[in-house]
Amino acid sequence: MTTASTEKKGRGRLREEFANPERRMAYYMVLPALIIILVVAFFPILYSIILSLTQSTIQGIGPFAGVDNYVTMFQNADFMSGLWNTVIFTVVSVFFEFVIGLAIALAINRAFRGRGLVRAAVLVPWAFPTVISAVMWRLMFQDQVGIINYVANALGIISKPILSDETLLLIGSIGVDVWKTTPFMALLLLAGLQTIPGDVYEAAKVDGANVMQRFFSITLPLLKPAILVAVLFRTLDAYRVYDLFWALSDRQLESLSTFVYKGVRVSQLQFAQGNAAAVFIFFTAFAIAIFFIKVLGMQTSSEE
Amino acid sequence: MTRRRTDGAGTLGRRRISRRQFLKIGGAGLAGTALLGAAGCGGGGEGGGSGDLVFAMGADSTGTIQPLIDRFNEQADFRVNYREMPTDTGQFFDQLRTEFQAGGGEIDVIGGDVIWPAQFAANGWILDVSDRFPEEDRQAFLEAPVQSLIYEDAIYGVPWYTDAGMLYYRQDLLEESGISEPPTTWAELKEMAPQVAQENNMNNGFIFQGANYEGGTCNGLEYIWTHGGDVLDGDQIVIDSPESVAGLETERSMVADGVAPQAVATYKETETDPAFLGNRMVFARNWPYMYSLAGSDDYPDIKPDQIGVAALPTGEGGPTHSALGGWNLLINAQTQKADQAWEFVQWLSEPEQQKFRSLEGSLLPTLKSLYEDQEILDAVPVIRLGSEALQTSKPRPVSPYYSDMSLKLAEQFNNALKGDVSPQQAVKTLQEELTNIIEQGG
Repeated sequence: MTTASTEKKGRGRLREEFANPERRMAYYMVLPALIIILVVAFFPILYSIILSLTQSTIQGIGPFAGVDNYVTMFQNADFMSGLWNTVIFTVVSVFFEFVIGLAIALAINRAFRGRGLVRAAVLVPWAFPTVISAVMWRLMFQDQVGIINYVANALGIISKPILSDETLLLIGSIGVDVWKTTPFMALLLLAGLQTIPGDVYEAAKVDGANVMQRFFSITLPLLKPAILVAVLFRTLDAYRVYDLFWALSDRQLESLSTFVYKGVRVSQLQFAQGNAAAVFIFFTAFAIAIFFIKVLGMQTSSEE
Repeated sequence: MTRRRTDGAGTLGRRRISRRQFLKIGGAGLAGTALLGAAGCGGGGEGGGSGDLVFAMGADSTGTIQPLIDRFNEQADFRVNYREMPTDTGQFFDQLRTEFQAGGGEIDVIGGDVIWPAQFAANGWILDVSDRFPEEDRQAFLEAPVQSLIYEDAIYGVPWYTDAGMLYYRQDLLEESGISEPPTTWAELKEMAPQVAQENNMNNGFIFQGANYEGGTCNGLEYIWTHGGDVLDGDQIVIDSPESVAGLETERSMVADGVAPQAVATYKETETDPAFLGNRMVFARNWPYMYSLAGSDDYPDIKPDQIGVAALPTGEGGPTHSALGGWNLLINAQTQKADQAWEFVQWLSEPEQQKFRSLEGSLLPTLKSLYEDQEILDAVPVIRLGSEALQTSKPRPVSPYYSDMSLKLAEQFNNALKGDVSPQQAVKTLQEELTNIIEQGG
């Protein structure tokens, strides 16, 4: 009964929408935009999905293959190392970026002399193109001229050159990413901090709350929307890591995105697998975003 | 502007119509843009009439291509336009592949890497020139570059210029240490390098390219070949052999015994040049180009006369072999102007044109006769010094799936060099992986 009535109501609503010439006109007018979005955004995704389900080559679509490409992809050692590297990289780098970024944001949120200068200076690493900073750091990790390799070697921390060891390269990549994108995190969090009104803290102080209580009961909960946005942005960004790995490790370190590139652009045989990996990235990234919105309660618009 | 605005306000009652009109105009505009876009994709060409030939080649650092094309255009009854492609071989390959996939593109003649012909030919993208370039004409060219163009008994282009891995050594330092001849075996090199290095306060004596990339594949293959091993025999993968193991063992021992620096597993040519020409190495394996850098503004420390060049050393009784590099002239299978394209290819590979590029660009010709040309031997001494390496060069496995094979080869060679896997394990893995690639492709 209820469903029928809502359906009727819905249909009536629909009729009302389209009976009104003004409104109908409005729909006609957004139609071209919708079609363009469908063509440029959804068609490529759909096409990738189709390619990933067939035995396609660079020459074109092949016979239907079901999930074969996905099965072989998960059996491919290169893909698994890419997945593993990407996950570790994403979790560890975003964690450190968040912690350090929050500390920086709290520090520069106070009023002090030269605050504007400090804020601008903090952003410098972020302003570098990733490839440039990756090449710069690669030189510092290099064994003939690199200072980091030299110091680490002199202190006895490393037994082989940094650039020849994948674990060290991954640690290096995480370090460079933290160096580079912590400012971005700090900036987003700082914007969030500035929306918290000062009188809330004053009231808490009057009630006798100490620094830790104020931080955990006021700052963090009120900062949650900004934190979720910043962490989601960084997570998705880190998850798609490509340029940093390739420039810093000179194509040694595999990530999900580099696997896609190799499959689709370099290999003559792994085209379908590369597409499967691209689809895999798309859906897992989508799942991460859904997780943030649904489970962690991120607000996607300012309306309640 | 003002007038129009008043108009609009005055015709408030006709608002709906004006909206509709707006929609029409908008629609027409969109369609126009789409058409423009399509035209942009289809056209894509740069200048030139439709009768012109397009010659695609990576950016030319020697400045010798445009003058040659100009010279050709003066005497031919059609024009050739030079289209510059990415310098990076991989990117160049990518771009060509994309154009071929899209139906041929408008390139007619390609200056392409020696590892490409089989990959393009298997897809039917480049022209079979077996009839135009018969056996007796091929005799005039060096053998290995010709081999690189042969796929399933047909030939797909003409060799243009060549490259080969060579052993560079510091003649002055060897003489000071009382060594008169460069090493002919890897064992001799391993003896000489640390000794001479020590006498000259160098950390290590030998440098090569061991990183996980195409050059790493070349270096690894050379170790395998010089020990009598091979990768491909017809359609069969034959890398799992005691000879290949011995080759990779020798390569690994360079690091394990301290002959080469540990970080050689991350080195490419860019690390090799400054180390050898910066007076920090006794021996280096590199391509011919390094010779012309000696004594230049970038590397003033070492003069050409301090350097000797020899063929690569060998393992136990193996022959010397260098990885073949260089470029071939290929013709797009979809070209409408095959005859003109062939005329241009033939002209470019003639002795006069090859000689011009050798003298002006220090490039190595592919015609045997030019290796006796005194003018060239004087101007490009590395041709004389490294002639044995050039004569014994060997193409990398000629297969339509070379890109896939090379990724695996480079990875395993690099792992073995770092000591992460044993040479035995590396060739075993490669035997499996490469066989898989061939089966998947077949």
